[in-house]
Amino acid sequence: MHLPDSHKIHRPWLGTLFAKEIRDLMAGRAFWLLLLLVCLLVGYSYIQAVGLYGEASRSAGQLPEVARNLSPLDGILVPTFGALYLANTFLFPFVAIRSITHEKETGSLKLLLQVPPSFGAVLGAKIAALAGAWVLVAAPALSAVALWMMAGGHIHLPELANLLLGHWLYGAVVLGFALVAAALAESGATAAIITLAATLGFWVLDFAAAGDSGILKSIASLSPTALLRGFERGIFSLGSALAAMTAALGLAVIAGILIDLKQNAVRKLTLTATVLTSAALLLAGAAQLHVFADTSQDRRNSFSPADAETLSGLKQGLTVVVRLAPEDPRYIDFERNILGKLQRTLPNVKILLESQSRTGALEEAYEKYGTILYEYGGRQSESRSTGVGEILPLIYSLAQVTRKVTPPDPPYPGYPLEAGARIAEVWFYGVLPLLILAAWITSQGGVSFAHARRGVRNADNSFLDEGKNAKGDLT
Amino acid sequence: MIDVRHISRRFGRLVALKDVSFSVQPGEILGLVGPNGAGKTTLLEVVSGLLPAESGMVIWRDAPLAPAERKRAMFYVPEATIPYPAETVGRVLGLFARLLGNAHERLPGTIKALRLDPVMETRVGDLSKGYRRRLLIALGLLAPQPLLIMDEPFDGLDLRQTREVIGILRQTANEGRTLLLSIHQLVDAERVCDRFVLLSGGTVRGEGTLEALRGLARVGEVGLEEVFLALT
Repeated sequence: MHLPDSHKIHRPWLGTLFAKEIRDLMAGRAFWLLLLLVCLLVGYSYIQAVGLYGEASRSAGQLPEVARNLSPLDGILVPTFGALYLANTFLFPFVAIRSITHEKETGSLKLLLQVPPSFGAVLGAKIAALAGAWVLVAAPALSAVALWMMAGGHIHLPELANLLLGHWLYGAVVLGFALVAAALAESGATAAIITLAATLGFWVLDFAAAGDSGILKSIASLSPTALLRGFERGIFSLGSALAAMTAALGLAVIAGILIDLKQNAVRKLTLTATVLTSAALLLAGAAQLHVFADTSQDRRNSFSPADAETLSGLKQGLTVVVRLAPEDPRYIDFERNILGKLQRTLPNVKILLESQSRTGALEEAYEKYGTILYEYGGRQSESRSTGVGEILPLIYSLAQVTRKVTPPDPPYPGYPLEAGARIAEVWFYGVLPLLILAAWITSQGGVSFAHARRGVRNADNSFLDEGKNAKGDLT
Repeated sequence: MIDVRHISRRFGRLVALKDVSFSVQPGEILGLVGPNGAGKTTLLEVVSGLLPAESGMVIWRDAPLAPAERKRAMFYVPEATIPYPAETVGRVLGLFARLLGNAHERLPGTIKALRLDPVMETRVGDLSKGYRRRLLIALGLLAPQPLLIMDEPFDGLDLRQTREVIGILRQTANEGRTLLLSIHQLVDAERVCDRFVLLSGGTVRGEGTLEALRGLARVGEVGLEEVFLALT
């Protein structure tokens, strides 16, 4: 007797597995509760944001300078998508965890591991279904954007796309942690605790690194929350995006290794160590990538085009020695307006922070405290200024270059708007929750179950009715 | 058909299986019998490739069969399993019929044989213990692999149902499939199995037909229970 040829018993089961995962997600309460909570959270955030933006816009009528500072990215998009961040951190992991622990706890996983599709396909279908679920979770936030536009609000598409990408990457990394936790833990509750410990750990790390300039800050810069913050400011970083994707993929592979019942502990440890090493190498490579794009419409993360072009021509290394404490407001200002932009514009810049304390309160007496030393091509210059108007000419002087002349960007006009939130209140507190509840009930086999199913049925998930049809054949 | 050779497995300090060897002949029903805690479930999971062994191997047609490859040769139906409790029986059967390969043609006969018709629209989580067991047996019968391994297939079934399932399993063996069943009720094992592997304390205490085991135990025309007690 020969073994069945795996090629002969292969069927279009990828679609079947995907449909099964979608059904499994819909069958649990966790997903629907998540959608309901996200709907309310997004609604509250959006309505608050519209109210505050409207108040600021009222005063902008008399003061054009105020109007120029009104950006929908800061005023509407980031606060509204902040609700998605909360969902990604505290709610979505539970849905991901359930997709694995439920099968472990009921024993279904043992059956699933014996079907012809590879375990990679089984896990891939789970991840694809979770990615689809994430799109639904993001839908309320996207509906808020639609409401904003319907109210006459302005949206700069690159800003929106970049912000959405940031939340997607953040969600992917958190999902990776959730999958690993679910693979490690015997129960869903334990997996949830592990995942929350990881996500809260990143918060603690960010908090601890806020006033640090050393290795702690370097480690914290790799955290998913730090990654998201860059995208919220309108900065697209190819290195960060690739690093997040590497982390998410690496964690998913590790989850696959840990959940595979066939492997013994030593083999699992060896494979996990191999994946971690490979991921670390890829992360190190991604960190070297110096590809950035400023997607913000007001170009807040960039120097003017003339300065950017001049600076990008400096081929030698620029060293900046900052004698300011990390929590000194001057340093925070300097980092945001000068250092960050220099790092993204110059191909080779080295920044050294010389400070004995976090706040600098006891260093003010030190004569050199507050000075910033610039060194380029063996020449040095020192300044206490933290303004672009003084620093860039100083750097050009050190580099002995002349500032290039390019047509200036048109000034950012600002987009003040006093929009009403009445429609949003009806949508987020009434219509959308009712739609979610209706979808929940129908997905649980209510009166219109067959009708609701029709929408998701395709050639690959016709298995849904095969058992029923088989019964019909007998009668 | 399959030779299981020198399988050992520990859980911490507890030795669950110690140098276990036996063979399964084509077309037979082999009963793995032993008391609770004898190591039957561990052995079946190791053989089916779902649990790693510390040592030993499984030979298929004179060649070692790696754990990852075993799902091509055998399908294991675990005991304590409630597959997808929120789904109906019909959906679960349909899902596995599709995932297991071209099992659709076997679906109506399997449902009829195991009398699952009345519960096709019932959620798996709401099934009685007996129906859950029949659903698991149905999944095993749908699987195309030549060796079917079942852990306690009669657990939860009443006498009439047990007899019916014995008939179905015998018919399955007559059609050419090979069955390896773990059974702790020796009366049931004696009714359905052609040969037996007696397992106790993680070691094999005897292997063969009832007649051969009687000879090994040096007892007369007694049942499997007495043979087992004599050998363990």
